[in-house]
Amino acid sequence: MLKLNSVNKTFNKNSLDEYKALDNVNLHLAEGEFVTVIGGNGAGKSTLFNAISGSVLCDSGKIILDGQDITYMPEHKRASFIGRVFQDPMRGTAPNMTVGENLTIAYMRSINRNMMGVPSRKEKDYIRSRLASLNLGLENRMNTKIGLLSGGQRQAVTLVMATLVKPKLLLLDEHTAALDPASAKTVTYLTRKIVAENNITTLMITHNIGSALSMGTRTIMMDSGTLVMDLKGEERKKASVEALLKLMTKYSSNTYRYE
Amino acid sequence: MSLTAFIGSMELGLVYSLLAFGTFISYRILRVADLTVDGSFVLGAAASAMLTLEGMPFAGILAAMAAGAIAGVITALLQTKMGIQPILAGILTMTGLYSINLMVMGGKANIPLLNNTNIFTPAENFGGRAYKIIVLTAIITLIFMLLNWFFRTLLGLSIRATGDNEDMCKASSINTDLVKIVGFALSNSIVALSGALLAQMQQSADVNMGSGMVVISFASLIIGSAIIKNKNITMGLLSVVIGSIVYRLIIAMILTTNFPPSYLKLISALVVITALSIPTLKGKVRKNAEA
Repeated sequence: MLKLNSVNKTFNKNSLDEYKALDNVNLHLAEGEFVTVIGGNGAGKSTLFNAISGSVLCDSGKIILDGQDITYMPEHKRASFIGRVFQDPMRGTAPNMTVGENLTIAYMRSINRNMMGVPSRKEKDYIRSRLASLNLGLENRMNTKIGLLSGGQRQAVTLVMATLVKPKLLLLDEHTAALDPASAKTVTYLTRKIVAENNITTLMITHNIGSALSMGTRTIMMDSGTLVMDLKGEERKKASVEALLKLMTKYSSNTYRYE
Repeated sequence: MSLTAFIGSMELGLVYSLLAFGTFISYRILRVADLTVDGSFVLGAAASAMLTLEGMPFAGILAAMAAGAIAGVITALLQTKMGIQPILAGILTMTGLYSINLMVMGGKANIPLLNNTNIFTPAENFGGRAYKIIVLTAIITLIFMLLNWFFRTLLGLSIRATGDNEDMCKASSINTDLVKIVGFALSNSIVALSGALLAQMQQSADVNMGSGMVVISFASLIIGSAIIKNKNITMGLLSVVIGSIVYRLIIAMILTTNFPPSYLKLISALVVITALSIPTLKGKVRKNAEA
């Protein structure tokens, strides 16, 4: 489904601050795979996501999604088939617009929309039913400005927005990190549910090694812009949080020694 | 206030509410103080005046709107494709427009239209003293309804969302550059319509009639939102019309005193400064009270 072939990205090239964020990254994801991504700060996880979503263009290499070369496709075009949820709940929604309006905008991703049209009754019903499936009662607050919802509620709505039109790839960038523990639990539960029900190919960055192992089907670790670990199947079932944490500490201490 | 003064300020209030619709789109929806307005207002007046001289006042209105839209597109292109800061982009277009406006006006700084038929003329027969108000109300109702519909369409929603959260728009596959171009074109087109109507109503166009228009329209927006809460687009647009009319009535009342009219722009600036600084000052007072 998703193929990254020898992807490189260097920031501030030819200056003192030169910094290799992605170093020859090769990654293949099969359809329906749910991969969790871990790694210390500055390991290149976010740059990886930015390169895939197009907010950063890579220097060399190829990114292929569902057979289509998207390496240099503009961000907004890729967004029609890549869903993304950011860490900051404020970033994924337009605060002064209503819940319904936000979802309508996300729904516009479906191809060949008549931009001068308004959503039909059938489309409104579909949007409402997807919101209702969260079981948070938000379907009764369609006309509330989304800025008035809590961070957890906003993140749950963002999750629905990212998957309202089934994306070829879903990118979750530490999307529960800014939430209180109870909200984080709800959003984690909803993530599992939505991804499983729709069989969406997913990449999720997390700093919680426990959920990195308990969620999804495969776990990768990044360090200094490269993939340093790729766990799946039996090997992953046997892996412990302690062992991964030890591995991660080893890598990040290397990094700090260089600095 | 005399009836004549009242009718006069109603007329101006209505004309300027179109101007304020324009800045409502750029300032309130796209969140950019678009200084193109000072130039596109005159551009509209100039285009309208020249075609009125030729006996085509209706064509003048349409030409003004088209010209205003082009001015908006230029400002938006400077911002999006050339990476120039939004405020500076507006200033650059406004400055360039001064020459363009003079060119449109055939090199003359003032075009009198005293003996020419204009779009208000047909209403003189039945409208009595309020004939201009009737024509203006009809035009504003039309624009109001069009905007109220437009900002609920998918394109309209995209424009609103781009001003509210650009990241979210990009993540929702919206071409934010294109959306801004449409938004600024629409905004300046309506601003030019305002200038076009004013020229025909006052029977003259002047190359300097646009100075300070941004501030005047902001004052209207602020007064409007103080009277009616911008709960949704309909209320927002309505508040713009009310704000404009109230602003003109306030000015008319000031003029009935011995206050020199040359201070009017200073007053407009002070109204806007006061309204914009109140939230910050309130915060400071609270901080001091806590300390």
